[in-house]
Amino acid sequence: MTKIKFLLELNGRLSGLPKNAVEERLGFYSEMIEDRIEDGLSEEEAVAAVGSIDEIAEQITADIPLTRIVKDNINQKSRLRPWEITLIVLGFPIWLSLLVAAVSVIVSLYAVLWSVVVSLWAVFITFTGTSLGALASCAAHIFTAHPLSGAAMLGAALVCAGFSILSFCGCKSVTKGVVALTKKIAIRIKKCFIKKEGHNE
Amino acid sequence: MDIQLKRGLLDVCVLAAIKDAESYGYKIIKDMKPYIELSESTLYTILKRLEAASMLTVRSAEHGGRLRKYYRITDNGLRRIEEFKSDWAEILSIYNFVTKEEISDDKD
Repeated sequence: MTKIKFLLELNGRLSGLPKNAVEERLGFYSEMIEDRIEDGLSEEEAVAAVGSIDEIAEQITADIPLTRIVKDNINQKSRLRPWEITLIVLGFPIWLSLLVAAVSVIVSLYAVLWSVVVSLWAVFITFTGTSLGALASCAAHIFTAHPLSGAAMLGAALVCAGFSILSFCGCKSVTKGVVALTKKIAIRIKKCFIKKEGHNE
Repeated sequence: MDIQLKRGLLDVCVLAAIKDAESYGYKIIKDMKPYIELSESTLYTILKRLEAASMLTVRSAEHGGRLRKYYRITDNGLRRIEEFKSDWAEILSIYNFVTKEEISDDKD
């Protein structure tokens, strides 16, 4: 791939992101490719050494905060013509409800994901609590001269402790997974934004 | 390695790469290569972060008929390197303590 083709393709992937940020990054990659060519690499090799466009575009999208993307889009919209503004004002009941619905979907998605995490940790706490309770009960039974019940309680405490340790490992990995998923969702949301803006232009 | 720790270490690496003289993106990556591999995207993020923290300044200069960005370390950046060195002395003494325990365990 030539340098020009690489930069054009990357630019296409980043349409909708703040223009200044995109131009600066394109300049950075262009400089990197030029410097590699100067160092003795062919143009093809220099472009390949920079990395895949998919990964670069993904990282740039992840790096630029959503607030900056939104702010940039609002600035662009301030150049709207009067009739467009009138249309926006008149369409207010429709787009506001759509916006509220979209935001609620996103919020509820997050709530669902995190409630899974919370309920799993609740299971862990329950097991730990039951295990400790059974242990206390075991001691109480031994003191009140009920060794058999005490032994049964000790068994229950051990079983619950085992489940508690197992559920801790599970909870930990699920929490990690949800954090990773949350990041991915954030990137997806940004991408939706980019596509919509791209079509508007 | 812990992400936060690695981020802090990479920041200092980039500062060290421009400590003696101003440098440019590709040269920073090349100078660091024998010690640590750094992708362009990561370097860009680090340079931006260091610029925002006033640890380096950027200037564009003409080179071979095109513009190239040069990065120069500031007093803040130099201070960061010194901080890292003194932090590292502390980490090293903790490391020595940890490995000393392991060595005496092995002897037992």
